[in-house]
Amino acid sequence: MSEAEIESSKTNPSTFLSDIIGSSVTVKLHNGVEYSGNLQSIDGYMNIVLDEGKEVVGNTISRTYGDVFIRGNNVLYISEA
Amino acid sequence: MSTVRTEQQQQEPLDLIRFQLDEFVLVKLRGAREMKGRLQGYDSHCNMVLSEAQEFIYSEGDEEPTVKKTEMVFVRGDSVILISPIAE
Repeated sequence: MSEAEIESSKTNPSTFLSDIIGSSVTVKLHNGVEYSGNLQSIDGYMNIVLDEGKEVVGNTISRTYGDVFIRGNNVLYISEA
Repeated sequence: MSTVRTEQQQQEPLDLIRFQLDEFVLVKLRGAREMKGRLQGYDSHCNMVLSEAQEFIYSEGDEEPTVKKTEMVFVRGDSVILISPIAE
């Protein structure tokens, strides 16, 4: 693998997603609600499972979930927090 | 390119749902609705069948949601936002 290929694999979106499994993330949905928690798993549809998920509406935590499955079509972005 | 896969990576998100079969789940839906019920079945679209279901409809201005009870209900996957186990 050439250096250019290694470089591109670093910024590849799916590489990024598999790299952040297990870390703390923030997921924003199209409806504006954010969820933060530990990223347990993710698939090709961007279906996501968070543990210790906190639902943030505006600036307040409105709810907490032990485990939560988020359907991929609602996802706007996933950021490493 | 070889990738090191941990146990966590091999597990996929729908597995969480599989573990909830026959358990009570909370399903958050589009249109400020929620559904609680016992998960009888689901598929990859998140189409779901819930028994002993209660639908909660939140309307603006009202603090308390409208509750509708249903013995058995099919929920179409495209309106699902999230699914979470209900701690009993």
